[in-house]
Amino acid sequence: MIPDAGLMWAIVAVTFAAMMAGRFLVRRFRIHWRPIPAYRTLPTLAADAVESAKRVHFSLGSSAVGETSTLAALVSAEVVYRLAERLAISRQLPLVTLSHPVTLALAQDTLRRAYLYRRTLDWYRSSAVAWYPAGVAFAVGAASLSADIDADSNVLLGRFGPELAFLGESALRHNQALIAHSDLLEGQAIAFAQANEVLLGEELYAGPAYLGGTALERGSVLAQDVLRWLVIVGIVLAALQTI
Amino acid sequence: MGSHRLIRFLSSVLVISIGLTTLIGLSTAEGTPPANFAAFMLRLASVTAAVAVFVGVINLLTVHWGRMRRSERGWPYSLLTVIVALAVLVLRVLDRADVWTGDLKGEQMSERAFEAVQVSLESALASLVLFFLVYAAYRLMRRRVTGWSLVFTGALLLALVGWIPLDGAEVLADAREWLIRVPVSAGARGILIGVGLGTVAAGVRALTGQDRSIRG
Repeated sequence: MIPDAGLMWAIVAVTFAAMMAGRFLVRRFRIHWRPIPAYRTLPTLAADAVESAKRVHFSLGSSAVGETSTLAALVSAEVVYRLAERLAISRQLPLVTLSHPVTLALAQDTLRRAYLYRRTLDWYRSSAVAWYPAGVAFAVGAASLSADIDADSNVLLGRFGPELAFLGESALRHNQALIAHSDLLEGQAIAFAQANEVLLGEELYAGPAYLGGTALERGSVLAQDVLRWLVIVGIVLAALQTI
Repeated sequence: MGSHRLIRFLSSVLVISIGLTTLIGLSTAEGTPPANFAAFMLRLASVTAAVAVFVGVINLLTVHWGRMRRSERGWPYSLLTVIVALAVLVLRVLDRADVWTGDLKGEQMSERAFEAVQVSLESALASLVLFFLVYAAYRLMRRRVTGWSLVFTGALLLALVGWIPLDGAEVLADAREWLIRVPVSAGARGILIGVGLGTVAAGVRALTGQDRSIRG
């Protein structure tokens, strides 16, 4: 039994209620989202790749379905789907690299669904998704594969540690655009320094909403923002009490 | 189209019911049916992950075999990857069969190869991360000088210089320690709280069957 089960249920219930309220609001009112530059750049990168008949390299890092990064893997796969949908009008398949074998099936299915949606399933190849063992071996393998296919850009989403530095360095050497995120602090710091555009912390989870999401996805971003402000107010009040 | 909708509906029902039951099982006392169900599902996930490693190795060989067959750019590296992967697999099989004799009797050659090559290479490459970061900070300042890039570069320099054991420069070490204890710690917690909120929101979306990857 997990400790604080009551608190867990309370958080789930409050989040669900906030998401439903958010969905109601985004359906009825025009909500202006705070701009996240990476989500403005991503569709442009996809369009450029299609026009120049080049490939895009997506990487999910060590995001693992079945472990603590399951949701990072699911959301990253959703963002990849939204972009792969745009890329699926071209014969140039995107490359997806990852280091967790269970996520391999998720990534292959994500690409397959994007090509199915565009009715170009004949162009889809499961070998467009490549697995490498975790750690520096993954980073070096993924970076060299990305360079070999002459990828137009690298989009790194999910869980990356210091190995992100190798992917970033390779992107720079080969004049490739780099958009990066990591839910680990080490990877996040490196992403901030190396990437052309960086996604910070929870911005990854807003991805589906920013890339043409459903009302519930947009509502969940609203809920996230409201909950964040509630946490901030809670922290400030707790700090004031100690003075 | 009808069958596709039915599959989507059934997969959503399956995901919602299993997800909620597992969550209930995790929050109930051990030995109860929901707790046993949750433990079974978690064991199933572990077994799946173990089997998936084998699938991963097959994927690695397939991808690189395809690159060799099509003579794509960098195919010699793919050849090397395939040879090394197969060699390590063979070593592992020989280890299990306990075929080594003489000085090598009882040795795990696959583990030796792993430690001699993989661990030392990873250590060597990890030491380069520092230089990548410093160079990235330099590039960041060349690309765009913003308040945040100045903060990043300043913090990086202070953290690095603070490590140098110079006489009379204790103030730098103190400043570094303060930097790590106060702003870095606060920022890290802020990012982690944000990630936590995003995770909960995404989790609730998945539990309510709204995630596309589980809708088929």
